[in-house]
Amino acid sequence: MFVGAIFFPLLGACLSGFLGRWLGDKLAQWATVICMALAAVCGSLAFAHVAMDSQPATVPLLTWMDVGGLEISWALRYDTLSVVMVAMVTFISTLIHLYSVGYMSHDATPTRFFAYLSLFTFMMLMLVTADNLAQLFFGWEGVGLASYLLIGYWYDRESANRAAMKAFIVNRVGDVFFMLGLALTFFTFGSIEFDTIFPAVAQHANDRFAGLPAIELIGVLLFLGACGKSAQLGLHTWLPDAMEGPTPVSALIHAATMVTAGVFLMARMSPLMEYAPVALAIVTVVGASTALFAATIGCVQNDIKRIIAYSTCSQLGYMFFAAGVGAYQVSVFHLFTHAFFKALLFLGAGSVIHAMSDEQDIRKMGGIWTKIPVTYVVMWIGNLALAGIPFFAGYYSKDAILEAAYAAHSGVGAYAWVCGMLAAFLTAFYSWRLLILTFHGKPRADHHTMEHVHESPAVMLIPLLLLAVGAVLTGAVFAPFFVGEHAHEFWNGAIFNGEHNHILHAMHEVPEWVPLAPTVMGIAGIALAYVMYMAAPGLPTRLAQMFSARPQLVRRLPLIPAEGEEQQTEPNPGGLYGFLLKKWYFDELYDFLFVRPARRLAERFWKVGDARIIDGMPNGVASLAAAGARGAVRIQTGRVANYAFAMIIGLVLFVTLFLIGR
Amino acid sequence: MAMGGTTEMTIGLAHYLTVSAILLVLGIFGIFLNRKNVIVILMSVELILLSVNLNFVAFSSWLNDLNGQVFAMFVLTVAAAEAAIGLAIVVIYFRNRGSIEVEDISTLKG
Amino acid sequence: MSWTLALPELVLACSGLVLLLAGVIPKQETFFPITMGAIGALLVTAVLVLGQGEGTALGGHYVADAFSGFMKILALGAAALGLLLSIDFNEKEGLGRFEFPVLVLFASLGAMVMISANDLMALYLGLELLSLPLYVIAAFNRDNARSSEAGLKYFVLGALASGLLLYGTTLVYGFAGTTNFDRLADAFSAAQGVSAGVIVGVVFVIAGLAFKVSAVPFHMWTPDVYEGAPTPVTAYFASAPKVAAIALLTRVLLGPFGDLAAQWQQVILLISFGSMILGSFAAIGQINLKRLMAYSSIGHVGYALMGLAVGSDTGLRGLLFYMAIYVFMNVGAFAVLVAMRRQGRAVEQVEDLAGLARTDLGMALWMAAFMFSMAGIPPLAGFFSKLYVFLAAVQGGFWTLAVVGVLTSVVSAYYYLRVVKVMFFDQPAGALDRAPASLTIVMAGTGLFTLLFGLFPAPLLAAAQAAAAALLG
Repeated sequence: MFVGAIFFPLLGACLSGFLGRWLGDKLAQWATVICMALAAVCGSLAFAHVAMDSQPATVPLLTWMDVGGLEISWALRYDTLSVVMVAMVTFISTLIHLYSVGYMSHDATPTRFFAYLSLFTFMMLMLVTADNLAQLFFGWEGVGLASYLLIGYWYDRESANRAAMKAFIVNRVGDVFFMLGLALTFFTFGSIEFDTIFPAVAQHANDRFAGLPAIELIGVLLFLGACGKSAQLGLHTWLPDAMEGPTPVSALIHAATMVTAGVFLMARMSPLMEYAPVALAIVTVVGASTALFAATIGCVQNDIKRIIAYSTCSQLGYMFFAAGVGAYQVSVFHLFTHAFFKALLFLGAGSVIHAMSDEQDIRKMGGIWTKIPVTYVVMWIGNLALAGIPFFAGYYSKDAILEAAYAAHSGVGAYAWVCGMLAAFLTAFYSWRLLILTFHGKPRADHHTMEHVHESPAVMLIPLLLLAVGAVLTGAVFAPFFVGEHAHEFWNGAIFNGEHNHILHAMHEVPEWVPLAPTVMGIAGIALAYVMYMAAPGLPTRLAQMFSARPQLVRRLPLIPAEGEEQQTEPNPGGLYGFLLKKWYFDELYDFLFVRPARRLAERFWKVGDARIIDGMPNGVASLAAAGARGAVRIQTGRVANYAFAMIIGLVLFVTLFLIGR
Repeated sequence: MAMGGTTEMTIGLAHYLTVSAILLVLGIFGIFLNRKNVIVILMSVELILLSVNLNFVAFSSWLNDLNGQVFAMFVLTVAAAEAAIGLAIVVIYFRNRGSIEVEDISTLKG
Repeated sequence: MSWTLALPELVLACSGLVLLLAGVIPKQETFFPITMGAIGALLVTAVLVLGQGEGTALGGHYVADAFSGFMKILALGAAALGLLLSIDFNEKEGLGRFEFPVLVLFASLGAMVMISANDLMALYLGLELLSLPLYVIAAFNRDNARSSEAGLKYFVLGALASGLLLYGTTLVYGFAGTTNFDRLADAFSAAQGVSAGVIVGVVFVIAGLAFKVSAVPFHMWTPDVYEGAPTPVTAYFASAPKVAAIALLTRVLLGPFGDLAAQWQQVILLISFGSMILGSFAAIGQINLKRLMAYSSIGHVGYALMGLAVGSDTGLRGLLFYMAIYVFMNVGAFAVLVAMRRQGRAVEQVEDLAGLARTDLGMALWMAAFMFSMAGIPPLAGFFSKLYVFLAAVQGGFWTLAVVGVLTSVVSAYYYLRVVKVMFFDQPAGALDRAPASLTIVMAGTGLFTLLFGLFPAPLLAAAQAAAAALLG
């Protein structure tokens, strides 16, 4: 059961990847789906066993390496935290696999796609069940690699390649910090096993490294690593671009896996983070800023998948600042509910795109709600959950986060609460903007496309419906366990709260208006969206023009913003609207600061290094090597006599050596 | 170890070992000083094996231990097989090249 | 007399004879079925080896322990893979004769006898049983001048080497009074000093075995024979005989001559230095891939012998581990070489690989994996093998050995990566023919081993550990 949950996806990946050609497309696809389903069953059983019956387990697999005092073994660590992740990942991944059978039906190489998808899931499971930081890092890197393969799946598209590269490089930046954190952990604790580190944190609380408190430093480094994977402010730029992959990939990356790895890391390292208050404050500020920042951008984007991507970014910000104020349980709870409704939104968006003949621009949609009613309904449910409307899943978790932030009674907590409230308003706003523009109003697509609008096949709708059920129920059903009265037994020590950390109690004792406020903000956001896009449809453009420096450019904007060089030539209306539309100019900033200097440096290296050293071999060491090679080859005359002579010389030499050495 | 006197000479182990060492050196020199014929090399190899056998038998009798002679029998057998294979290879080499000059066996080099 | 202990060897010998008969009797050519039978016999023998007990048999000439089991499995696996490589190649080159698999089978039997030898006599017989078929298959392409030249060269130098080895055994026998390894060990541990005769004898024996593993300065035959022999034969040369000879060298030096370690250590050290340095430098300018692989194999033997020079149990573990990984990546790389054909003709120059990534990405990727692994780049298998011998050298205080090892592996990375560069960045020199399924399977199997080994090194490491412990007692 424990092992099955992790390794069935790997089996599926192998089946599809290596035997795909023999099995045929259909069989290989269903083989991976079945493997995932088995994994999901195992995952659910494990969840019942570990989380509900409070029986954590560690399954040792084998010793991985034993080098110079660093002994690392493979083991699957099943406590409540990891089993929540395992159950969620396997369940959602199964639905996404199923959905992909329909979505990728016209693709040329579906076996490759399914192999990547299963591999990706396996890596994520490896990450969450890791027993030590090295294994976690293995999963971490594996997830990065698989996401690179998946984002660049349509490798013949230039933009997909670029997005994949970007995801890979930005993640690599985060990984460097993760590795530094890992090294420092080993340096400080002499081990990277969780079981050894966690009890030892208190003893090492006052350790210093290079004049800085070691625990704080580890906390900050690991957080920076998490930032890369979880697309927090500064390292978020890859996430929206990752929409270049097929839609199920977006759902898998943004809902269940990858981006949640950073949040998971924070929760997993909670025993350590609790001793690092400064690191936690940084987490809170960055998380809160990301929540607000991504929400503002989400309001002006026009690509349906990009809007949802920014909303993911924003929701991850919520999770981080929840962890930052010490409410890791709440953070994981939001992660859990978010996985359901975000997967639902992405797959729903995929269904819309499918119906609209691969159109992604919401300005070219509209008026299709009667034609694809099921998709329409599930998108409503997803958005209700996302906006935190009462009794949908998001309501329980998002409210809990804002209550925790309020209850933290600290400067950063207050900042996080304000940002969170504003972001809640904006979230509701852009969600309904998306809903209204996509489904309501007059059809804006051309006649031809409209004729072909059709509901997706059952194989795609079933996952949507299941996820919709999840988006409605998970909050109400699981809230008592994750954050409510059963929380203590449920978590069973998987997450550590310091002695002075009473946030879980304090959050239930906030003034009465605090739990109500997010709902009010959400409804206000919906109302504003209704006014702007249903009641007075001319308003948005006028607003956009009002806040632009060059209003006449507003209408000429292309759909997908260009990258790199072309970015400079693209029309930019400027002003506040342009600022948001260009995503706060982050890409431009990075382009200026890193990409162009790096490219210049690389060019120089290439000219000096590759062209002259490698190809020409003119200088010192290299020419010595070449001379050595010539010398070594010259003795190889091809004559038997010379060879025999060399043997005898060697023999005589050795005999002499022996007799002298005696 | 018995060494020879001036009037009558007893042949002892040292003599056998000396003869065998000379044979070995001859065989080795035969392999790498010979520039003409591959057959000479085959003969040199036999010479080396001969020296080995001489050693074995001498030691065997000196030690009063039969193992050495058994070993010598094995060496003889293997030597026969080796010579057969060697000659066969020389024959196919000759068929390909039309020559068995030692100097010619050097197209593979570098 | 517990001759049943030697059951694997007996089964292999009998099946060799049966296959020889079965090959002669039918009217038509029986290359393919006999090859399959030989592979089957090798695998059955490997299974028998797995189930073999421990102890000595046949009057103390034969010993079976965890060490012999480990090395035999390696040698048998390498032989089976080598035969698999030969099927398609031999048929296309007109070498599809049933004698080939039978000869490989007998050579493997020789390798097994060598590995299990516990007496100088068994050592010699095993060595000759390995060598004689090798002389023949080196010249197996008998209508080809290069192949026959390779056979002749190998024969002449091999005969010289085994002559030297024999002369060494006579001296050891004469001055120690026995040929049995256990009694030799007793004699040396009891004696205060050792006579010069024994010492000279040991050097001669080392020389004879160093010839078989192609270690400097007894390596000279290697590039020529590797280049001239048919490619599957080269693949076999570079794996199974090396395993057997390394095993024998290890057993002889650590067993009967274990108490003379202070003396032979210097020699092995020099051999290791020389092989690493020559293997990395001489390959740089090579344009023929088989020749390049010959120098590369010389270098690898140098790294492996580093473990023997250290002499500790970690060193020995490193050596066994190194050989196991070496065999796999080597067979994989040779599978690519065997598969290299253009319009039906076998090609073997480095340039012939140009642009392979564009014409046959799969093969290019496997080859790249083998090359990276041989260069010792993490996280591939070759990295771990180097890591463990270097680690053993450092732990044993052999700093110069480790430093030279690291430096030469940097130098050798140059020519491995050149192959990768040619495959991925040069203009295609015309597509190669599609590789047959048997070769693709070998490539994929060994390639996956090379790639994924880093994840699960523990079982092999544990096996190597057990084997090393069995030898050191």
